[in-house]
Amino acid sequence: MLSLIRVAHLGVRFGEHRVLEGWNMEIHPGERVVLLGESGCGKTTFLKILGGLLKPSEGSISGAPSRVGFVFQEPRLIPWARVARNVRFANPACPVEDLLERVHLAGWEHAYPRELSGGMQQRVNLARALAVEPELLLLDEAFSSLDLRQKFAIMDDLLEFWKRQSCTILMVTHDITEALYLGDRILFLQGSPSRIAGEMKVELPPDRSPWGTDFLERRGTIIRRLLESSQGADQG
Amino acid sequence: MRRGFFLGVGALFLGWELFARIFAIPLILPTPLETASRLLEYVQTSLFWFSLARSAGEVGLVLFLVLFLGLPLGVLFGLRPGIFAFCRPLVAIVQAVPVISWLGIVVFSFGIGWRGPVFISTLSLLPMAILTTASGVRSLDGTLLEMARIYRVPRLRRLRWIYGGALLPFAEAVMEVALGNAWKVVLVTEYLCGDAGLGVLLAWARQGVDTPGIYALSGVAVFLGLSSERLFRSLGRAFRLRRRGNPCSL
Repeated sequence: MLSLIRVAHLGVRFGEHRVLEGWNMEIHPGERVVLLGESGCGKTTFLKILGGLLKPSEGSISGAPSRVGFVFQEPRLIPWARVARNVRFANPACPVEDLLERVHLAGWEHAYPRELSGGMQQRVNLARALAVEPELLLLDEAFSSLDLRQKFAIMDDLLEFWKRQSCTILMVTHDITEALYLGDRILFLQGSPSRIAGEMKVELPPDRSPWGTDFLERRGTIIRRLLESSQGADQG
Repeated sequence: MRRGFFLGVGALFLGWELFARIFAIPLILPTPLETASRLLEYVQTSLFWFSLARSAGEVGLVLFLVLFLGLPLGVLFGLRPGIFAFCRPLVAIVQAVPVISWLGIVVFSFGIGWRGPVFISTLSLLPMAILTTASGVRSLDGTLLEMARIYRVPRLRRLRWIYGGALLPFAEAVMEVALGNAWKVVLVTEYLCGDAGLGVLLAWARQGVDTPGIYALSGVAVFLGLSSERLFRSLGRAFRLRRRGNPCSL
């Protein structure tokens, strides 16, 4: 299968401090890939490289798509612009009403960000990312500041979008439930500088229940794997 | 609140009347009534209204120049710290030079007229506009710029929506401070090198030892400075209310 992105021997350092080392991976079109790792392991750095904000110190990334949507951890909305303008900021030609309807914000076009709750702001953040009709959608701990209900509601919106558009999703998170709910392949990050320590195919249907037996079983597997590897790292 | 304000104004006039009676030296402190009657004489002359219009025109021109030059230069200095560091000594000198020091250059360059007051007043207010705008640009939220870069937003749209919105409160502050000071500076410079305007009327009143005239014209200057600042604030408030109270909505 032809890959959308190919990462080879990628490394990043800030001065003397190495953040990423020897990353190799391939992401295929239409995949939902999750990078699971602790805070500070360089997940956001990797997304910034894909988003064109940073250049790697070593290695290469080939085939980065031109239309990239980015759902930031914090909404990053322009405070003095209305919701519709915030969405159009990424692409003035986008169908704002349609996008807002998709993220369940129909009728909020004329509101200012400060008039929205945190969850609603994050939905605008998502609508703005979808406005560019992304080939690749990057999510940087996009749900970490949301409560459980909002988190699942927005993840459902995202899955709905993925089913329609079949874009490629790359998400970074430290939350195992989010990783299992959205991803169909999980890459485990470990160490400092961080490396890709392994991967797991989720092999669950796209409509998955977070309390289903298969889901919980996989969750347990991941927890065991993470604990064992961190114990190994401590002993090493 | 309004009642307290009017009580304060009343107390001020009462104190003035009292001191004027106690000292009883009209050459230094005329009574409010003497000042008011002198003002009445002024407003009945066309010279007064011509002078007022002339000063108002100069104030308007100074404000336009301060905003027209100060905002773009402030944005440039905020975006390019190297250029700012290079130009900083010049800005600091212009800011520190007393109004009177420009007089020689202005009189030799422009002669007596409207250009001298406009030139000196603009130079007096320009550094404040530049420095305030530059600090506004520097305090801009970097995460918004990062977001714009990821979405490859064209420069013009970034300027309009990110810089424009962020700078609006600073531009408002510049305008408010400039308005408050413009009347004072323009009147001083007219006094020194103008050929018409309220400052020139003040100079004539001083030459004629017309103390009530000096007080009357000073009162007019205070009224104009305060009321134009207040008018601007009211306009700003109305604009914000129209935009649902967002302090810097576009």
